[in-house]
Amino acid sequence: MTKKNSSDKSAGLSRRTLLRAGAATIGAAAFPMPVIAQTKPFAGVTLRGASFQHRFFTLLQSYIPEFEAQTGMKVDLQLSAFPVYNQQANLELSSGGSAFDFVNVTFILAARWVAAGLLANLDEFTGDPNLTPAEWKPKDFVEGAQVPYRDAKGATYGYSWEGGAMVMGLSRMDLMEKKGLKIPKTFAELQEVCAAINGTDGVTGLVSFQLHHWCLPPYIQGFGGNIFRNPPTDIMPALNSPEAVQAVEFYANLLKNYAPKGVLTYTEDQARQALLTGRSNIFIHSSAWITPILMSGDSKVKDTSRVVRMPAGPVRDFPAANSQGLGIPKNAKNKKAAWEFIKWALSPEISMRLVKEHGHSSVCRRSVIESEEYRKLNTVNGQDLGALYLEVLGLPAKGENYMAYRTVKEFPIVGDVLNKAFEQVATGQLPAQAAMNAAQEQAIANMRRAGTAL
Amino acid sequence: MSDGISGPIRRSASVRRLVAIGVTLIVLLSPFLWLLQMSFKSNDLILQFPPPLIFTPTLQNYASLWQGAFPVSFVNSLMSASFSTALALVLGVPAAYALSRWAGRGKHAVSFAILVTRMAPPIAFTIPFFLFYRWIGLLDTVTGLVLVYTSFNLPLVIWMMQPFFETVPPSLEEAALVDGASTRVVFLQIVLPMVTPGIAATAILCFLYAWNDFFFALILTRTNARTAPVAVVNFMNYEGWEWGKIAAGGSLVMAPVLIFSLAVRRYLVSGLTAGAVKG
Repeated sequence: MTKKNSSDKSAGLSRRTLLRAGAATIGAAAFPMPVIAQTKPFAGVTLRGASFQHRFFTLLQSYIPEFEAQTGMKVDLQLSAFPVYNQQANLELSSGGSAFDFVNVTFILAARWVAAGLLANLDEFTGDPNLTPAEWKPKDFVEGAQVPYRDAKGATYGYSWEGGAMVMGLSRMDLMEKKGLKIPKTFAELQEVCAAINGTDGVTGLVSFQLHHWCLPPYIQGFGGNIFRNPPTDIMPALNSPEAVQAVEFYANLLKNYAPKGVLTYTEDQARQALLTGRSNIFIHSSAWITPILMSGDSKVKDTSRVVRMPAGPVRDFPAANSQGLGIPKNAKNKKAAWEFIKWALSPEISMRLVKEHGHSSVCRRSVIESEEYRKLNTVNGQDLGALYLEVLGLPAKGENYMAYRTVKEFPIVGDVLNKAFEQVATGQLPAQAAMNAAQEQAIANMRRAGTAL
Repeated sequence: MSDGISGPIRRSASVRRLVAIGVTLIVLLSPFLWLLQMSFKSNDLILQFPPPLIFTPTLQNYASLWQGAFPVSFVNSLMSASFSTALALVLGVPAAYALSRWAGRGKHAVSFAILVTRMAPPIAFTIPFFLFYRWIGLLDTVTGLVLVYTSFNLPLVIWMMQPFFETVPPSLEEAALVDGASTRVVFLQIVLPMVTPGIAATAILCFLYAWNDFFFALILTRTNARTAPVAVVNFMNYEGWEWGKIAAGGSLVMAPVLIFSLAVRRYLVSGLTAGAVKG
């Protein structure tokens, strides 16, 4: 009996053990997800992010499933048109909303959002080794591109995913060479080349577009002036300084005399089209808009184009630079998950993949831009576009931060006034001095109305 | 002799009339025709200056339009405009009838109060709506849009429908009541058929308001309830505007209103002119 019992017992145990083991195996096979999910800290999290539509995000979207598989979270990325996104994000952030876990920190709004405390301090994430491994290297981001995302104390509120470095594209070097003209290196030479080429073979000397508060400041600074007296500390507008007036006159004359008719209403793609088809010889704008003359399939001037530094002014050599960043709203519900996404999206690996697999070169990681692979891909007709891009993008962080005018929250107000004043000069409604005097008064009044103490 | 004089005069008058009609048509239709011809051009052709008027048309813009999120936005627009129009009519028509038959002292004050929401510009209501909707979870929903459009269309329905009801003789209703009809039957079977042109005209105006709205849709929607006008703006990308798609989207956005207006044209004309020659 004992034996039987014993045998029964052992048989029973064995059966139970087998049953348990079998059930566990079947269970694991039938429902593997919860077991795997337990290894993923963000499993079940839906991460909501928003940005304006840009090729970077379109490309990134094809990689997002990999990120979702790695982390277990689901990414809901809402992409809208540039003005639509800015409107919606501005409203969401300024009303203290928590609809988004990460947002694009648009360059022109960055200073406003940072100063108003609408974004989370990312130093808290990069400073924690549990959240950010050493190999992520925050300092690898080009310093000039990071300037807009810092507050007065130097804390970081965004990491840049795209950089724009102002360069000069020349589409008809063949015409220039025929006339014995060299690439202009100064404002004076720029005017000479424009004058010499304009009208030759139906080509205009240069082309530009309607965003004057982006195109014009390098000329103002080149003549020794600035938008504000000494930004970011002294933000008294300096629109009617002799240097600013001289620059407005100079740039207005360029457009009046050597640009296509209607250039004041041109959008960026109209201007780019004029350059790509060789209808205009010179276009000075962000590298992403200029380099297509060498790299785009639509370009009809690949063999006759050059991309170089924009000319220097008689006093300073300050080509504009900007960047777009990713940040986390102060009231985001899933801050750690959002940081996980930003870390991944702006990692050296993803940045390099974007360059190698899609030719998306306007990334902001120095190590990527300086890599051999990047150099190979971005050297066209012997022109090292990457070196040029990096040089210009990094300039605002070297010595005087000349792009500081654009990082103060009052810039959009003054920029709007500057746009209107320039149009008055370029259309001949007012002489430069009168227009800029009026603009100075208007800018001060508008800033005061907006609550700025001057 | 008189025929000899009146003939040229008549012809000259006809020519003048034709010229006037032609000029008016050109002025009225040129924005629409310009948009339409753009929608059949490639981006390169659209950006050419001077613009080519003779070109090989392409359907590429329309085809690419239906590959993205535009169809969903189009359906969102249809739903929000249709439901809000229907809701405004269901609530507003009986209200207008009641007001038209009310002879009490407070009638004008109530009528005026109803109109108050139409007096302020929409921007004044947008932010309160945004904050309230976020609180109750109606942001980025078609339901949210329907309620906003209804709240704006309701006063319009009430004010537009009142004069139509006032043209229906009360004696007709009294006769029906004497014959044993209930108030509901009187309203639905006697009064309503007589104000059909008014309802059609009002419906068109309500639909137009909701269909063409951009501002509320911009602020109160994201991606789920995005409407067609906002979707068209979404072709203005950071890296360049997709002119062809903007034109194709714009042309398509006009289509439902055009079809709806043509369908109820008979009622629309009589509805909008009703009362014009009455004292």
